Amino acid sequence: MKEELQKKLREAFPQLTLDLEINERRIVTVRGECGSWDELVDVGHFLAKQKEVKNVVSRMTVRGLAIPEKDYAPLAEKGRKKGVIRKADVVIVGAGVTGCGIARELAKYDLDIVVCEMSDDVCTGASKANNGNIHPGMAVKPGTLKARLNVEGNRLFQKWADELHFALDWCGCLGVVTDEKLMPAVEAVYQVALMNGVYKPEIVSPERALELEPGLAKRNLDIKGGAYFPSFGQVETYEVVLALAENAAQNRTTFLLNTTVADVLHENGTVRGVLTDRGIIEARYVINCAGVYADEISAMAGDACYTIHPRKGTLAVLDKHCRPEFNGVVMIIDGNQIQNKKNAESKGGGMGRTNEWQMLLGPSATEVPDKEDNTTTPEDLAYTMAINTNPNAGVADIIRIFCGVRPSDFSEDFVIEMSPVTHGFINVGAIQSPGLASAPAIAKMVEEILLKDAGSVPLRASYDPVLPPKTNFRHMSHEEQDALIRKDPRYGRIICRCEQITEGEILDAIHSRIVPTSVDAIKRRTRAGMGRCQGGFCQPKVLEILARELGKDPTEICLKDGDSRILLKENRRGTLNPQPEKGDGPV
Amino acid sequence: MKKLDMDIAVIGAGPAGLAAALKARELGAEKVLILERDTEAGGILQQCIHDGFGLHRFGKRMAGTEYAQVFIDALEKTDITLLTDTMVLEITAQRTIYACSRQEGMMEIRCGAIILAMGCRERTAGQIQLMGYRPAGILTAGSVQRYINLEGYLPGSRAVILGSGDIGLIMARRMSLEGIKVEGVYEVMPHPGGLTRNIVQCLHDFDILLHLSSGVVKVHGKKRLEGVTVARLDENRTPIPGTEEYIECDLLVLAVGLIPENELSIGCGIEMDPKTKGPLLDEEFMTSVPGIFACGNVAVVFDLVDYVSDSAETAARGAVRFLWEGILEPLQYVKTVPSGNINLIVPQRIRRGGEKTVSFYLRVKKPDKKVVLEVQEKDRVRESRRFAFVAPPEMIAFKAAASGSGDVILDMKEGSHA
Repeated sequence: MKEELQKKLREAFPQLTLDLEINERRIVTVRGECGSWDELVDVGHFLAKQKEVKNVVSRMTVRGLAIPEKDYAPLAEKGRKKGVIRKADVVIVGAGVTGCGIARELAKYDLDIVVCEMSDDVCTGASKANNGNIHPGMAVKPGTLKARLNVEGNRLFQKWADELHFALDWCGCLGVVTDEKLMPAVEAVYQVALMNGVYKPEIVSPERALELEPGLAKRNLDIKGGAYFPSFGQVETYEVVLALAENAAQNRTTFLLNTTVADVLHENGTVRGVLTDRGIIEARYVINCAGVYADEISAMAGDACYTIHPRKGTLAVLDKHCRPEFNGVVMIIDGNQIQNKKNAESKGGGMGRTNEWQMLLGPSATEVPDKEDNTTTPEDLAYTMAINTNPNAGVADIIRIFCGVRPSDFSEDFVIEMSPVTHGFINVGAIQSPGLASAPAIAKMVEEILLKDAGSVPLRASYDPVLPPKTNFRHMSHEEQDALIRKDPRYGRIICRCEQITEGEILDAIHSRIVPTSVDAIKRRTRAGMGRCQGGFCQPKVLEILARELGKDPTEICLKDGDSRILLKENRRGTLNPQPEKGDGPV
Repeated sequence: MKKLDMDIAVIGAGPAGLAAALKARELGAEKVLILERDTEAGGILQQCIHDGFGLHRFGKRMAGTEYAQVFIDALEKTDITLLTDTMVLEITAQRTIYACSRQEGMMEIRCGAIILAMGCRERTAGQIQLMGYRPAGILTAGSVQRYINLEGYLPGSRAVILGSGDIGLIMARRMSLEGIKVEGVYEVMPHPGGLTRNIVQCLHDFDILLHLSSGVVKVHGKKRLEGVTVARLDENRTPIPGTEEYIECDLLVLAVGLIPENELSIGCGIEMDPKTKGPLLDEEFMTSVPGIFACGNVAVVFDLVDYVSDSAETAARGAVRFLWEGILEPLQYVKTVPSGNINLIVPQRIRRGGEKTVSFYLRVKKPDKKVVLEVQEKDRVRESRRFAFVAPPEMIAFKAAASGSGDVILDMKEGSHA
């Protein structure tokens, strides 16, 4: 088998000298030097597409390119000195939508769960920087794990929204074609949707398309037909993840933020826990939801069975004054669409909107060697903006450009399994799009894997799946706003003028279970700073409130995780004018 | 909900709002109210501790704070109501304001006339498509000014300034005085964005270089800013390969323009001018919604606070007249038309009929020397003025007579060298 594969590889890439190994689980490990990063990715994809291959581990290098690697040694050293700090039943590595979804699912059992997150907050990786689409499941290859979990997750999302009170809008996705020749492609998508079990897909006539999206009438298009997917939904992902984390914490899950897992402890084929930079946490189960780092965590557990090749995506948010023309996502296909080769493996984003009715474009899809490379580039932005077909919107209307990194493996499917090598270690890796839509089904699947192994686990008597709704001043009527301020005047002070976010809402966020310590963490919880001035006016106020409530000095408050302080030191006030004695009044 | 009836409500207690309220009261409006979102009056002037304010109006150089204090002191001698920490959430075309505060809850305020004086905001990193990482250490010039002058903290130790707008220039000097090393000012346009006097006093006097036709092409640093790559730009603002240069810095100051803050105006259906990004105004500074007036930087971005105060008084006169006389029949307008090197004009239109003196505010498209500005009405030159030097950052303000009988053309021939 190995020789045959080697031969195929030589034929496809005659310019390269590569060595292969294939194990009994059909995992191929490939070594050698490639000419470019894109070539390395091509090799990985080529191998993973072969039917005798389950997945690909890359040990390849690229000529003249230093592929960034995370150095765990100093973190491990630091943690080892601290020894065992905690004993738990389950350790979850990573607090994105997958990790928090699983934590919340398992919190209904009488289990001691600890979530370790390297960042200062939940939802800071792939879960943060995406377009919040709940995909119906028509864009995934039938028969894959992705296809099953996408469709199942899509159906479970409403229950999450009902229990956790985040905004979920089933706005629908409509694709129309203006060329008769494209109708077979529409039919093909429809058939895939049927095969995958997508909820109520529909082939639509031109009249039906206009009925579904009246905004199309203004475009004066010669619509030939199309397909409609009513189960396309829209959320703000950070709202979902925060709600999951809050509810998990409400049900006694422990979140250790700023905690990096530096090693997975295992002996005799059984997992024993994790070594973090803050010490050792012993556990019977370790669930790997580490996003772009999941392959490294899996290798730490002695189970190198996939490689994450980061794929970044750039998105643009437009000013609210560019009102979206459509209720849902509308794709108008005339046969002249831009074809981006790099985009072939990942469904790029379309022209959508947030639930706050801002136009949202993207993401693009660009392969990069650095897992933390979320830089925006003119090329990626051009791709993202080319998605726009709204004649009243353009580059001048952008208020924010951001970029996230998808954790994709070469098989381009999810990797979810109890490790056959290290018992108790559960991989939940390569969760890229449609990872968000799939998250509820992924949580259920991991629950089943764990229960199957553990046998019966008693339920938690105090379990409450309901997270009370948050106060959203901006969505209230003036009468409701008046009543709210009379009850609690802190809701009468507007901090973020663009999005009308009150001090009361910011205080609610600070005094919640997952305590936000950075300005961006406040932004994700409240929207303060997400509007058109991008925090120009409210950042100093948010910073002041954070410092006051957390008992910190303003110079300690960060924008995001790591050393991202906004203010470095005091100005010359002390040296210019001698400080007055205490009690002399204001300085 | 608390209900109030007012003759005139002014939104914003910055230089425009204060001057408008004082003038309206002086002219006889009885119940005048100012709604201010900040904790004190004065607006952005409270963080402007540099001088240069008031030259036109008071004939002396004052700090921004001093200029504001003149109006605040005057306000205290009147019975004008000032509500601070009060945010206006909505204005209706029927002149009802919804505003909230901790003390009052929601208020419904019915007004005889409304004067908009909300000022402007700064353009941001996203709006100029700043590329690369998004670390801490990237702030607008106004935010840096606030942090240093009001909060008392320094947001960096080595700064690059992108854009040569006035606040950026002022901050180049201010940061230098605070010991922050300013590595240079980069301006994407081939000419400066700020006033000549600020280039001289804030850059030349501090040995800070201004790089024209240059911009920041990449931001470096994942958590905190580590540096920027700058490059020279061609006429299409595309970076010229080979001109890239890395500059180590921990603060990138954005002084890339101001935008009038008209969300409330748009919300009540006021027609906007895409050029000024402010409401379409007539010679009384009334918007397209009868009884709602606009002044100061919400109308058009002025460079001098003196002009802001003048515009406020024009709007106040109009508002008081509206209060007493109303508008009996729908107004008819003639346009003011920019021609030649003129880029924008406020007011954009003039009420038809009746000889009047109009205060014009205009900006040119590009710098020029020894030019003549003509005010033409029905092919007749009503007025002509000579200028030794004109440039986009220097607003031209003057008064001229107009009869309202036909469109008024403001023409400045390029290089007319009269």
